[in-house]
Amino acid sequence: MSTPAYLDYAATTPVDPRVAALMAECLTQDGVFGNPGSVSHDYGDAAGARVEAARGQVAAAVGAAAADVIWTSGATEANNLALFGTAHHTLAPRGHIVTARTEHKAVLDPCRELERRGWRVTYLKPGRTGILDPAQVAQALAADTVLVSVMHVNNEIGTIQDIAAIARICESHGTARLHVDAAQSMGKCALNFDGMGIDLMSLSAHKAYGPKGVGALVIAHRRGVRLQAMQYGGGQERNLRSGTLATHQVVGMGAAFALAAAAGHDESRRIAQLRDRLWAGLEALGGVLRNGDPAHSVSHLLNVSFADVEGESLLAAVRPYIAVSTGSACTSADREPSYVLRALGRDERLAESSLRFSLGRFSTDADIDVALSAVTRAVQRLRRVAGCATAPAA
Amino acid sequence: MNYNDLTRRHFESPANAGMLTGVGIRRGAAGSRAQGTWVQFDVQVAHHRPDRAHEPPTVSAVRFLAFGCPHVIAVADRVSQQAVGKVATAALPEDLKSLRELFAVPVEKLGRLLIVEDAWIAAVSAPS
Repeated sequence: MSTPAYLDYAATTPVDPRVAALMAECLTQDGVFGNPGSVSHDYGDAAGARVEAARGQVAAAVGAAAADVIWTSGATEANNLALFGTAHHTLAPRGHIVTARTEHKAVLDPCRELERRGWRVTYLKPGRTGILDPAQVAQALAADTVLVSVMHVNNEIGTIQDIAAIARICESHGTARLHVDAAQSMGKCALNFDGMGIDLMSLSAHKAYGPKGVGALVIAHRRGVRLQAMQYGGGQERNLRSGTLATHQVVGMGAAFALAAAAGHDESRRIAQLRDRLWAGLEALGGVLRNGDPAHSVSHLLNVSFADVEGESLLAAVRPYIAVSTGSACTSADREPSYVLRALGRDERLAESSLRFSLGRFSTDADIDVALSAVTRAVQRLRRVAGCATAPAA
Repeated sequence: MNYNDLTRRHFESPANAGMLTGVGIRRGAAGSRAQGTWVQFDVQVAHHRPDRAHEPPTVSAVRFLAFGCPHVIAVADRVSQQAVGKVATAALPEDLKSLRELFAVPVEKLGRLLIVEDAWIAAVSAPS
């Protein structure tokens, strides 16, 4: 049997070969292998120059100043640094944070830990399509709110939040900073750190054809945003994230973001056409529900619930042919129904029987053909075995 | 989750999925779709020849419907095959321990096998 068609780009992407080639230049003796923190010789200077060039590439791709980009090990660390760093920097021992029920666990779990330490957290419930009404944020703000954390693109359903509107609300509040988890955004939709008025923004390389193990937290220093460091030793990254920088990793992230920015609308348009063909084929099965808001969604992601089909059997039936997720990859190990879909009001059965198809740069028409064939066969067989006859759409 | 070859074979190509029609069919079900596992068996019990009326009736055909995980579908299919030709009793043609081992059913899914057993008991106990 051939390799399953990869349709899980929201979980991770393969490193673009052009990125991998640049990373390889920073590993071996004949390359730029020096410690970028070594200022006493040319090897260090050469590595440092690559790191700063990559910082500039990331900053340019997201509309930020290069000095605002702090390298981390990924978006999870960036989220933790944003949340704990903000909380610990405040003079008050505890305060208030606003976030949403549909955030990634890399935001929700730090929030729960802060609650354990005495902080108050408001978890907003989006509408049925996953979109937050900015007015909900305004209503949730309190005098001691120090942070609002809202993701830009939801990793399960692909909805895009109105970050600029939420930023204006935080700005008018006075003390509430806005943190945005933008791990899924790069290359998928417009992203402008300064233009949107964001205070803190988490980024990931491996969602955008860069390597795993590197990300960034963008910090609006000019707007007076300050954080408490979470790790110490060496003072790298403006004393906010000590540790020797992995030159090849940050070079990979810089290159990946530069390529994503250059690919822009052409890539998104091509992927949207594939996604629309996939949706049209699935919809014809009948008893199929699209999760999210098609009008406010990235082009590469399609989340679908299948009525009258048991979730584990559906995944088992399609797994030999396609690589997809049920809910986010981070929660698929525990087999719980997606908490994001549950928060949107899907019942437990429909949440369990959902598949997330996420397409990417290397997706082809043939991948869509394989997916349509595999899902159609699986759904029809499982419905037949279950004695359920869901009529196809007229 | 990984499934062994036997589970995958029965899950991918269940031989007896469906329903029986006609007279003398015993039907029973257990579980619920809303809870994630539901199984129904249709059991046809053989008519006796007049000269063998003293023998207990045997199963001549079984069909099943199942809404559940691959293990539930596979075990229900296995039961539907193994029961044919055997005496129609409330006992499964193979006990739960054997089925669990045959299909490498994880311990947290034992409750689902009990639903298969309950559906079988309901079917053979139903009036024809």
